[in-house]
Amino acid sequence: MSVPKLEQLSKSVAQGPSLATGAVPTQDWMDIPAVFKSGNYAYPAKKDKVEYLNSQKGLYFPNAREWSPEDDDWKLPEDWKNIILNGLKERLDKFRSLKIFMDCCVRCGACADKCHFFLGTGDPKNMPVLRAELLRSVYRNDFTLGGKILGKMAGGREMTVGVLKEWFMYSYQCTECRRCSVFCPYGIDTAEITMMLRELLHLVGVGINWILEPASNSNRTGNHMGLQPHTFKDNVEFLVDDVENLTGVRPNISFNRKGAEILFITPSADVFAEPGLYTAMGYMILFEAIGLDYTWSTYASEGGNFGLFTNNETMKKLNAKMYAEAERLGVKYIIGGECGHMWRVLHQYMDTMNGPADFLEVPVSPITGTKFQNAASTKMVHITEFTADLIKHGKLKLDKSRNSHVKATFHDSCNTSRAMGLLDEPRYVLDHVVDNWVEMPENTIREQTFCCGSGTGLNTDEIMELRMRSGYPRANAVQYVRDKFDVNTLACVCAIDRATLTSLNNYWTPEVTVCGLTELVGNAIVQENEGENRAVLDEGLRTMV
Amino acid sequence: MDLAEAFRNYRETIVGKWVDYTLSTYTSSDFFKREKDQFANPIGASVREALDSLFVMMSKGTDPVEFKGPVEKIIKIRAVQEFTPAQAVAPLNAVKHITREVLAADKERAVFVKDLYDFEFNVDLAVLAAFDIYMESRERLYKVRIAEIKSGSHILTDSKCPSKLLNEESQEFLKSV
Ligand code: SF4
Ligand code: SF4
Repeated sequence: MSVPKLEQLSKSVAQGPSLATGAVPTQDWMDIPAVFKSGNYAYPAKKDKVEYLNSQKGLYFPNAREWSPEDDDWKLPEDWKNIILNGLKERLDKFRSLKIFMDCCVRCGACADKCHFFLGTGDPKNMPVLRAELLRSVYRNDFTLGGKILGKMAGGREMTVGVLKEWFMYSYQCTECRRCSVFCPYGIDTAEITMMLRELLHLVGVGINWILEPASNSNRTGNHMGLQPHTFKDNVEFLVDDVENLTGVRPNISFNRKGAEILFITPSADVFAEPGLYTAMGYMILFEAIGLDYTWSTYASEGGNFGLFTNNETMKKLNAKMYAEAERLGVKYIIGGECGHMWRVLHQYMDTMNGPADFLEVPVSPITGTKFQNAASTKMVHITEFTADLIKHGKLKLDKSRNSHVKATFHDSCNTSRAMGLLDEPRYVLDHVVDNWVEMPENTIREQTFCCGSGTGLNTDEIMELRMRSGYPRANAVQYVRDKFDVNTLACVCAIDRATLTSLNNYWTPEVTVCGLTELVGNAIVQENEGENRAVLDEGLRTMV
Repeated sequence: MDLAEAFRNYRETIVGKWVDYTLSTYTSSDFFKREKDQFANPIGASVREALDSLFVMMSKGTDPVEFKGPVEKIIKIRAVQEFTPAQAVAPLNAVKHITREVLAADKERAVFVKDLYDFEFNVDLAVLAAFDIYMESRERLYKVRIAEIKSGSHILTDSKCPSKLLNEESQEFLKSV
């Protein structure tokens, strides 16, 4: 009987350049081209969206056209190379951090195995150090003396169309989660390098639709969904009816109310898509329980900021809108809902871009008197900080047994954990609203949390496989607590997470549902006047009545 | 000495080579092979754990229905990576060759090579199960896509207003899936 040799087995199933050749790569990584095929890239931005964005004051999105990553010809502008190199030069001068990140990496490799994209693909270009090298090699070639003289020997390489395509492939296989930066002895933040790559690509008209369309929607109607003011209002009002039907207490709400003490801003997904709806109900129940003087806005109807995933100017513009609305309404400060990147923008960039917001007051909780010094400059408080403070002062009546259907674990969103340090507050809140919750393993939570795999605008369905494999490190830890502790609920404080982890769990651990933390708070709150109208809510706010 | 004992003695060697072979299908596999922490290295650890338990089952003649657990652990991962279906399941087959090679290299145990029929038949069954699981995983993947579309997050693009959801075309599409 002849047994196929192992090598034959490898060969018989792997033709051409493939990840399954079973062989150690013999080519230098620089020489392996990026190959685009259905499922491994997100659809390019539609022409009319790019045109619209480009027509807006302060924004620059040139070269609108129809194109496909699978085509050889990406229809780049003729002088694309100059545009890229000049763009890089400009950014090296403007952002000191970029210059430092380009120069100071010692290639120690500490970051290499920390990226969920690498862990889910085994593709070396998904090692953060190599991802950065995609840009650094061009930087070396054109902007350092060694590179100019020695070229490839000094790790430099010329900017070519092939390199540009590689940039596109790998800057959209990075969710800017910053996990790698936690392990870098020099604090190099590969996320910022990805941001620069994406900015440079936009200069020649290379971007994806799932980011640019929500960004243009936000610019036009104020939110990703493109909901117009009346629709936004209707949706929130539907939720008010739902809360009343379920709990017997009708929350008071208002829109665009001048003179309200607080403006509340949350991702628009909270008022339109499941499972965010339940979190939005939670907000209303919470604010009703404490009689907060707050208003929703149909103009600042989006907390999320897809500008963060495109370029500085767009991020700045979308962020400014929230503050313009706060000023117009004359509120004292802003409370922000459960969102990831809204908080990243707030904590890392808002102050330099649009701050300080001196026309607002340093946030003080009207219920407890606590002054939120951490928000002294941005004037915006996270809903979880606000809730934790209420609980700490005994201002909420909570009945944990109303969450007895829940055995929870907590997913730290990349942005809230690594970009703003919101680590203990959500855990403190969980302690008080559920009987039962457990942590996932230590190297997958808090600062070391694993990304959902679909952040930074990669939450689009045409790359579902990519999302499933890059989300595997997260899912693997969820699987573990499900098997060991019968966990059935994954709580988080990010709207994108709520949607993307739902899909991730759907594939890997369908038994585990995803919810926002404030949904659990809403379940547990005992309203003073709830009386007999409260339905029996075996599944909390998700109960069908 | 019998074949069962040979399997016990060589379990670590055979599984080690099998894991190595399987992980070599990833372009950059050193870390996957080296790191033992199951959370720092989820793919490496899952493959190791699953292949080890599958080997024990196949060599002991456990009811093939039980193969599903470990096979699923591996194939569910490979079904969402950049492998063709054949590439995704092929490494399972490799254990036949590895086992023959390992036993043949041991003079005392080389005689057992001719007794490997049952074991190899089990490997075939595991490979067949892998095809089913591969398809199940792909179908699940498409269902996840559809569920996401139904959840409403797709209106991020392609629409001006949620009333779009109510138009006939969208409704028909949603009904059809
Ligand atoms: S850890 Fe920092 S210094 Fe080390 S290779 Fe990665 S980016 Fe470079
Ligand atoms: S920021 Fe996150 S996704 Fe990007 S390279 Fe670092 S670990 Fe990977």
